[in-house]
Parts: sequence; structure tokens; C-alpha cells
Amino acid sequence: MDRRDLPRADWARSPAPARGGLEHVALGQTRFMTPGVAPDPRGIVLGRYGLLVFPTLEGVVSWLRLYSAESPLDELLSGLEITQARTPLGSREMAVRIPAISSYVLDRAARCALLVGGATYTGTAKHFVKYRDDRSPYGYDAADLTPLPPDATFMVHGEDFTQIYARERDLPLDRLLFRLSRRRLPGGDRLRPDERRELFLVVAHGLGEGVIRYLWRNRVSGRVGLVTPDRKSAFDEPGRTRSHLLFRVQELPGRILDLFLATPGIDVFRPLSENVAVEVGYAHPIDLASCQSLFEQSRFYLFWGADDRVDTVAAPLELSAIEHLTRLEITLDRPAVGDTLKIAALDAVGVPIELAPSLTPSRRVVGSLIPLTQAQWLKRLVYFLPQTSLRGHRVALTDRGLLVVASPDVDVIPLGTPLAEITSGLLVPLGFDLVPRVAPDVLARNLGHGAGMFTVFPPTGSPFQIGDTALVPLERRALAKIEIGTVDVMDARAEVAGEPSVTNDPVGRFALWGYRTPARDVQAGLPALPPRRRGESGRQGD
Amino acid sequence: MADRDLVDFLRRFILPLVRGGDVAVGRPIAVEELPSLEAQIPHSSPELAPVDDARTEVVAELVVRPPAMVFDIDELSLAACVHNLLFLVHPRADTWAVSASARRRVLETAQELAGRPLSHSRSRVLARHGLLHNIFRVNRVDTKISWWTGSATFLGQRPPQRLRTWRTLRRVREEQTVAGYDDLLGTVEVAPVVSALLRRAPLTQLLAMTREGPALFWEDAVFLLRDAELARAVAYRALRGNEPRQVVAAPARYAAALEQMLERAPAEADVRAVAAFLVHLNGLLALSEAGDGEAGRSPLLSGVLSPERAGQRQRGLATFFALPAALSMVDPRLAIPPGVEEDAVLADRWMRHRAQVLEGVGEATVDTLAGRLRRHLTPALPERASM
Repeated sequence: MDRRDLPRADWARSPAPARGGLEHVALGQTRFMTPGVAPDPRGIVLGRYGLLVFPTLEGVVSWLRLYSAESPLDELLSGLEITQARTPLGSREMAVRIPAISSYVLDRAARCALLVGGATYTGTAKHFVKYRDDRSPYGYDAADLTPLPPDATFMVHGEDFTQIYARERDLPLDRLLFRLSRRRLPGGDRLRPDERRELFLVVAHGLGEGVIRYLWRNRVSGRVGLVTPDRKSAFDEPGRTRSHLLFRVQELPGRILDLFLATPGIDVFRPLSENVAVEVGYAHPIDLASCQSLFEQSRFYLFWGADDRVDTVAAPLELSAIEHLTRLEITLDRPAVGDTLKIAALDAVGVPIELAPSLTPSRRVVGSLIPLTQAQWLKRLVYFLPQTSLRGHRVALTDRGLLVVASPDVDVIPLGTPLAEITSGLLVPLGFDLVPRVAPDVLARNLGHGAGMFTVFPPTGSPFQIGDTALVPLERRALAKIEIGTVDVMDARAEVAGEPSVTNDPVGRFALWGYRTPARDVQAGLPALPPRRRGESGRQGD
Repeated sequence: MADRDLVDFLRRFILPLVRGGDVAVGRPIAVEELPSLEAQIPHSSPELAPVDDARTEVVAELVVRPPAMVFDIDELSLAACVHNLLFLVHPRADTWAVSASARRRVLETAQELAGRPLSHSRSRVLARHGLLHNIFRVNRVDTKISWWTGSATFLGQRPPQRLRTWRTLRRVREEQTVAGYDDLLGTVEVAPVVSALLRRAPLTQLLAMTREGPALFWEDAVFLLRDAELARAVAYRALRGNEPRQVVAAPARYAAALEQMLERAPAEADVRAVAAFLVHLNGLLALSEAGDGEAGRSPLLSGVLSPERAGQRQRGLATFFALPAALSMVDPRLAIPPGVEEDAVLADRWMRHRAQVLEGVGEATVDTLAGRLRRHLTPALPERASM
């Protein structure tokens, strides 16, 4: 807006009401002089908006910075307006109008504003009255209202003054957000592991291949895409094409991060939200994550620190995995020629399989071979086993003993010879191994061992095999025949509550003799008593 | 003054108040008696257990896992408040021996006892509901005995046997009437205290609110709608009944409370929550008729929105049914319950309901309501408005 267009109004020359006058609002007060204000459920006077007045733009930015660090700005954005306003004497001040969602929100806004030298008012249209403070916890109401000059925009009512303002220009928050310079954070380059979980790299085109190879060699998972920032940035230089590689890397090691930060042509960004990232080592004065609704979902925003610019990329980012972009060596003129191998039959080496003390660490015990003489012990133990153990054990009765096999999540019954598993279903005594030490699958093939079968090498005697189907759950095997009786079903539904019926006890003729008024004075909150109802004949009793 | 016995109070007043039965009302409880009663709580476990069990049974109808009910000063104070309010309709409280100032002292005491802190705690609200859930069902049987030379009325008291003897000779006639909430707790005198009491138990007010009860302030109760389990319980309880007018009675009262809310300065989130809840109730009504054939008009809407009954419409009824249409003009995200569009039959019934409602309440009602809602609901993105 051109300054010449500003209203040279009569009110600017006319004496503005210099003295204000506020009244303290009382609890329960419902009528106010200030238009458009009403008490909220807590009794605090609240208009539709809160108005924060700052002497300079720095105050506005400081307030936004403070508030966004404490609470999301998103909830205020629906009605937030930043205005440069002019007083009749020509001085300029900044006014921030926010929706008064609740008095809690306005309390927080007022506290932050006070901290950075601002003042808080509340109102709905043109008249804004001072917001509550310690001296008047329910707020203030204007004692006297004067009509505004026609070209004034709004008026604030302070404790001992009133001030009229005319709007000079609006300053949209999104524009302010993109104009603010990022500030260098001391020690901001040293990211914690959780901050390095996902990072973005903007790499110059010439360095792309080297970075991809370096990341791939160091087993850093990442994705990459070629991006050209939109031309909409105000910081863009016209005529210069800017395409670079954008990497999204996960779990970047600290040493690689340090290397990248020190390499010209590689810039590292830390994501603040789904589509906003800020250069590592810098921070935006305002918490960008708290005003997410200002950023279009179809754009990805890169806030540069040193260059002081904002790049936007079309979102969502479509990136490709870096492992598919590593350089390939292709020599078509000299194809590799392989040799042909023949398989010759070997002479059989007949070595018997034996048990020998194992040299390897102990394996997990998966079963037990219990001699038949210890069957009584097993029966007694069954009474003490928890349900999970009973369910987890399977047992087979053989002439070589009781074979008990446990499922992986329970411990084996500590009876008999503990058995460990060499391969699936091939059981040997714990601490023993089979020699010669051939591969388990070769051994299984030679033994005729297969799926659904257990081959057991007992400590003494020859090995034996048993089918998986011969093993039954111990809980089923343990139960003898049970006699089932019948029981009566009882109705356990909740009783439906009846209606309470008043029965008046005898209280004597002087029921309230000696009855005292409560200590605290609650009379103020009570309405006047209605006239007593008399004339209802024949009330008798007690 | 002898110390009041908590065991007696529990057995004869609090337990019947919760579980139903004869609620014995005696001399009013003074605030100074409360510490003495509170000190007896640890020594009254046998009598407290049935009270807590009964409250748990009540709450178990609403939530899957009722919180632990532990009777403490909070419940004691609220129960004493109800007791004192009921004393004000005791026949002895309306005799020459009890002055207006004495009645006021009782009322002030009840107000003081009701002044427990407002709570948004789920367990606290459920516990208070367990205690006060019957407050709208409190009644009193009044007996009038007339004989050949006179008559006598006994309010909540058993007439003496001597008045009943020689029935034929003395031409004894006995009439019983039942006084309900209106006569006991709905009088002008005690209504402010009952209102304060129910602000402490917003769940009770939502679940058991009758036409005669105090006005609902959504600002006090809206937090219950953010608890899905409680909101579901309130929704299903609100739509109980077989008659059309009975089904829409509670939703209409909720909508009337929303109308009042819009005249104050509520938080936008609260307005959104209440509006979404009422739209959900509309959705439930459509769901109840989803399988009733495609072409038919809704008998429920025809019954309650018929032009010939326009004068008898309950307050808030038009607002309740017009709300989805109004919201579609203000914030379409709130205008239809989530998931309705995924079910073709339900979506069809929903659209038929909306068309029938528009015919029944008129576009002017919808426009007016949209205008009032627009003052409180702002769109998600910034909107330019002149200061």
C-alpha cells in the first residue's frame, strides 16, 4: 500500500481520547460495556480474538518464536493476522490478532507477549480491552466507550489510556516465515544418533557418483533422486539451472556426517516434519513443526542455512535405492569364458558313526530320554508342572525308555538323559557329538532321517528312530479317565437397580434446632428464596 | 449433638440411593459433621463394600473395565448434599418451627457440600455417576387417609395403624400418589443446588437427563465425548425407546444445549466435538433404518417432523436434524459420520434422511444454524478477514 493512500483522517488531527478507564470484572458478571466480549466457562472475559501489540516487528518474531516452542501455532493460524498499524501521532506498532480459542490459549499468548515487551487485549471487532492479569483475574471491561472515527481500524483500551490504530499493511505469516534468516546453532553439527536416523543430502551433480559409491561401500541405506527446485523461490537466481541430487539416507554414521559437512558441494538437511527440512547446524527462529499447515503437502521445503534461501521440490519425493546406481564395469569385447568341470565318483570310506565328547559349546536341551525305571518320578512331577510345561511337552513310551520332547519355549523335565539337537529331529546326549563330524544333512541322509521323525542316539546301545506322530502331548497322556458330573447354572447377571423411594424419618418438632450455617460464605452464589408454600392442608405425621 | 453414625447413613440412605429401595431422610447434615463422618470411613468397610459393588454394577453397564470404586469424602459430601436437599421436602421442614432462614441454612449447607472440585478424570466421573445415577428417579409415596370426620396426608411416611382400623365403620379411604423428581428436586428453591451437583457428575446428566432436569452445559460435559467408550455409551443411551418422540427426546435436548452453547464463547474444538457427536446420533438413526427398504420414507422422521405437529416439536429437535445440512455448508468434514459412504445401503438411507429433514425443517432453519455455526467454526487454513 502506498503511504500516500493512507488515510489522512480527521481523527489523526482530532484529539484522541487520552484517558482510558477500565473496570475490574467480577465473577459471574455477564453484562459488559465492551462490545463482543463474554465470560468463558471460567468466568474470564473473552472476545472472539486476542490482540497482541508490539512496538516492533522483532517483538512479533520473538513472540512467534516463544509461543511456537511451547504450543503449536497451527491452532491459531485459522485467524492469525499480523498487521502494521499507525497511531494518530504517526508512530507505528505491530499488532498480531489471534483467535481466542480459550482463555488457556490466551493466557499462554499473554505470558509470552509480556516476556517480549508486548501487551495483550481481547475483543471481537473494533474495541479491544486489556486482557486479564494478576490484578484483575477475570479481566477488564471498558468504563467508557467512545465511537471510533470512520477510518480508524481498531481501538485498544488499556488501564490508563486508549489508543486508536489504523491499518497500514498486512504481513502474512507465511511470507514472514520464509523471510526470516536461519541462525547458526552452536554445536548444531553434532547430531545425536536419533537425529541421524534420517537425513537429506543435497549433492552437486558432479559428486553424485562418488557419494553413491561411498554410501554403498559403507552399507548406508539410502535413496536418491534428481531434483530441480521450483522457480518460485524469491531467492532464486534467474537463468541459472539448479538441479542436484537429493539423497534420503538412514542411520548415517557420525564420521560420514562429519565428512559430508566438511565437503563443499554436499549439504546435509535434517527433517523437521514430513515435508520440511532445515540445514544441519542451523535452526529457524520459529518452530516450523508447529505451523505445519502453512506448508503445502504437495511441496517439499528445504530451508538453507548459509545461503539463506528456501527451495521447494514437488512432493512426495520419488527416490530410487542407491544400490541400483553403483557403477558397473562392462567389457563386451572380452567375454569371460568358464571351464567345464566333471564329477568323479569317490571311493567309499566306511567309518562307523560314534558318540564322542563334544568340543563345541553346549547346545540347548530339547528332549530327554527317561529310563522306564524313572517313570514313577515323571508321574509325580506331572502334578507340579505348570500348564505351559504340560502343554509344551510331548512324550512317547518306547521299549528303550520314555522319550520326552519339549517345545522351544519351555524347559525340559530334569529327568533321565538330556538330549540336544544336532539337526532337526536328530538327538544326541548333551555334551556329545557324532564323529566323524560330517555335515548334519549328510548325516541325516545316511541315517535315513527325514522330516516328521526323531532319531535318538542314546548314551548306550544303538540309535533308534520314532515317528513324530507317536509323540503325544504330556497333558493328554497324563490324564486318566475323569468322571464328569453335572452342575446347576446360576444366574449371575447384574441386578437391575431399582428406584430409590424417599422415606422420611421422624425428626422431631424442632428439626433444625442448633443447626448452624456453614463456615464459608456461600450466600452470594445462591438465588433468593421463593416465597414459602403454605396452605397445603393436613400435613401431619412424624 | 451426638455424632452421626456413618454406618447408619450408608445402610439407610446411600446404599438405597445407589441400588434402589427406601431412602431414609432425617435431620440435615451440617458441614461440621462431615469430618466426623469422614473419620468413620476406614471403620465402615463392611457397609462400604455393598455400596462400591452396587456402583461398580452400575458403571459396568457403561464401560468394559469399571475403575476401582473407593468411597471417600467426595462421594460422602455429594450424598450428604442430596440428603439435605431431600430434607427440604420433609414434612417437618415446612412447619412453623422451621423458619425461612433455617431452610436457607440447609440450602447453603447443601450448596457447600456440592462444591466438590469439577473433575475431568474418567474414574472420578464414573464414580460420581455410580453414586448419583438414580437422582432423576428418586420418588416418594405420599399417602392420604380420609375417614368420616377428617383426613391426613403422610408424605413419605407410613400412616399409623390406628387410623386404618375399623375401616368400614369409620369409612376409611386410602389414596396413594407418587411424587417424582419435579416435586422433590426440581423445585425453584433447590434447582440451583441440583444444577451445581450435576455439574460435578456430567455423565449422570448426559445419561439420565430428563426434561425436568437442569440445563446441560456442554462445556462441562464435552470432555466425555472425547472418550470413545463413554461417548458410545451416551449415544446408545440417548436413542433408547420405542416411540419416535421417545427416541429423539434426548438428542433434541442435547441439540438445545448446543444452541445455548453457540450463544456463549465456547472453544472451537468443543463445538466441533458436540456437533460431531450429534451428527453421529443422526448416523445411528439412519443406521437403525438402513435395512428397511430403499424407497420408503423414514417413519421416524415422518412422525417427529410432520408439519401438523410442528407446534409440538420439542425444543432443539429441528436443530438436531438440521445440523448435518448446516455443517455441510460450514465444514463438510463434520457433516457426515465417518464410514457412512463406504456402506452403499447406509449411504442411501443417510441421503434420504437428509432430504426428508430438509423438507421437514425448511432451508431457512438450516441457513440460520449454519450462520450461527460459522461464528465458531473456522476452516483449517487461514482465512483472510478484515480486522
